[in-house]
Amino acid sequence: MTEYHPQYANTITKYVFVESPGMTPSDIAIRAYEISQGVMIKETCFGLQITGKEDDVNAIISHLREIDPTHIFVKDRGFPPGDPRRCRANLGGARPGYFGHEFEISLVRFISKGLGELPKREAGSVPKPPIPFGTEKLDAKKLQKIIESEET
Amino acid sequence: MSLVRIAQLSCGPEYSGVQKEIEEAAKSVEAEIFFPDIKLADIRQGFDLFGLDVRSPDLKLAIARARALVEGKVEADAVFIATCFRCAEAAIVRNELRRYIHENSRLPVVSYSFTERTTAGTLLTRMEALTTIARRRALLAREVQEGLTLGVDSGSSTTKAVIMQDNRIIGTGWLPTTGVLKSAEDAIELSLKEAGIRREEIQAIGTTGYGRFLVGEKIRADLIQEELTINSKGAVYLADTQHGPSTVIDIGGMDNKAISVQDGIPGTFTMGGICAGASGRFLEMTAKRLGIDITELGPLAMKGIGKTVPMNSYCIVFGTQSLVNALAAGSSPEDVAAAACHSVAEQVFEQQLQEVDIKEPVIMVGGTSLIQGLVKAMGDLLRVEIVVPPHSQYIGAVGSALLASGFIKGS
Amino acid sequence: MAKVFIYPTTSLILSDLVARFGHTPLSAALQIREHIQTPGLESPPLQITPEDPKRGLKWAAVEVPAGVRGRMSLYGPMIEQADAAIIIHDADFSFGCMGCARTNELIQFLLRKSGIPILDLRYPRTEEEGIEFVAAVRKFLQELDGGDA
Repeated sequence: MTEYHPQYANTITKYVFVESPGMTPSDIAIRAYEISQGVMIKETCFGLQITGKEDDVNAIISHLREIDPTHIFVKDRGFPPGDPRRCRANLGGARPGYFGHEFEISLVRFISKGLGELPKREAGSVPKPPIPFGTEKLDAKKLQKIIESEET
Repeated sequence: MSLVRIAQLSCGPEYSGVQKEIEEAAKSVEAEIFFPDIKLADIRQGFDLFGLDVRSPDLKLAIARARALVEGKVEADAVFIATCFRCAEAAIVRNELRRYIHENSRLPVVSYSFTERTTAGTLLTRMEALTTIARRRALLAREVQEGLTLGVDSGSSTTKAVIMQDNRIIGTGWLPTTGVLKSAEDAIELSLKEAGIRREEIQAIGTTGYGRFLVGEKIRADLIQEELTINSKGAVYLADTQHGPSTVIDIGGMDNKAISVQDGIPGTFTMGGICAGASGRFLEMTAKRLGIDITELGPLAMKGIGKTVPMNSYCIVFGTQSLVNALAAGSSPEDVAAAACHSVAEQVFEQQLQEVDIKEPVIMVGGTSLIQGLVKAMGDLLRVEIVVPPHSQYIGAVGSALLASGFIKGS
Repeated sequence: MAKVFIYPTTSLILSDLVARFGHTPLSAALQIREHIQTPGLESPPLQITPEDPKRGLKWAAVEVPAGVRGRMSLYGPMIEQADAAIIIHDADFSFGCMGCARTNELIQFLLRKSGIPILDLRYPRTEEEGIEFVAAVRKFLQELDGGDA
């Protein structure tokens, strides 16, 4: 058994995803570099990974969010950037979590729309989202009508 | 030796603390593990086309990755499928993927269901078998023994030697293993004597079994190979069923193997050896208690009805006690012998056979295959007619001698 | 600030919205980070060792597969801490941490059993559903104690 000594102890890493018609990951990277003090910033195809002390990382993220609030999305990451245990080059293929990103990123434009649109609408005017489970059963009378109409 | 690239299809090893064990086992046989790279769109399509509507996303990913391998979108030398032990959903996927890969590609595939206690050591023989199939496909394709070859099976209980010439067994030797090298030398002498040839005439040598490395080095073997590959090959050769599916069961003195074989190449297999109550050793103890030779146990058991003897334990100690009690309470030696055979068969069935596909023919090999009562008990449990080929007790030695003929110079 | 369990626990969308509306998302990353940053014995890739499935026994019996118990050792403590939960039901493409359907069923059951407020959703499929989705999340989070939304 080999002993394990963690790198980047007492730091956090967050993903910053940019899915915007008017801004690329490198645009936001430039802004991040400008305000980064003592934190590590890594540019990726979808945005950035920011690693550092929790307060520092959060401060940078608050700034970045202001640039384009409805098109920047943030989440925590367990690993520091470029960790060989998660790196595509070492694994041969993407780590499993990558597919989850790929899936959600394809839907994130709807969330952007929601974030942008919501303040414009009156409180309580937005209907509830669809019920997520179960399927509505067809009323027996309706079914009877369908059968009758097919028979005639 | 070039690295064998093994594609891993799995659900759960990272969360069970065994991923490192898988990678270490691969490394120790000059192989490396990798995860086939596919896109999300491929996952959706691959999963839908395969048609097995499982719920677990990681199993969907495994299915899609298997398709990418079969379609040649991702290159690999071998495939290792690993899922959690006791997961029914994963067991179905594991079996179907193994079958799918086997039927649609030339990739060797081995599957395993792990627990958090699985170690690299446990996985080693499987990885060795997997890389052997990847590296030595041409060798394993051999169906006929040629020239004059020697095979030695240095097992934990007994050492076997076989000499073959032009596809026939011409000499055999069988001894209890006392010292690994000494027993091997003596068994070889016996086989040479029976064959009526001199050692120098032997053209190639193969070794297998626990002592394969030690013996192989001493007698300068051309082929040193683990017993899963060798026994699979040997069993289908002796049973003359070299093509298509089969199942090989080897209840040994100390451990048991159940191998699901396709065209003579092992697919899934289980190896067990935790409990002596599920081994040939239990039958030896039973014979001793009954005051008979082990060779008499089988015929005796054939005459008895095992069900009439109460067996409250599988354990070799308590199990033997149950048999003694039964004798004292008036059970016949025939019934007691049958009960002992049934007990071993049932335990192997419950602990091991449920993890492999039982495809006919089911071939029993190894020394215990000569105990008819055990063969009958196993056949009753599996509801199949079990095949015991001639020379089944020499399985490892025959497989080694057969494959060794690929090493004859000029062949 | 309330601690909100998000399902899938790897969700970017939920992580972002919960934090954006002033609460703390409980995501898989936090548990993984703790494993990655704790010294011990080397067990790549996630630093989950064979000891972790044993810790998972608190939430699933020994007859439950190791992978389920190992995952529960990550999620069990988060479920116990959670003040509320948001569950997306059609999370069919969340692999890795959410890769096991049996674990996912157990997580949802334990969340419901705990009696905390739960918002059930599915992924939006249109812009209008996107608006409804965000509105529902915001309303749910506003009604929790301590949010700034």
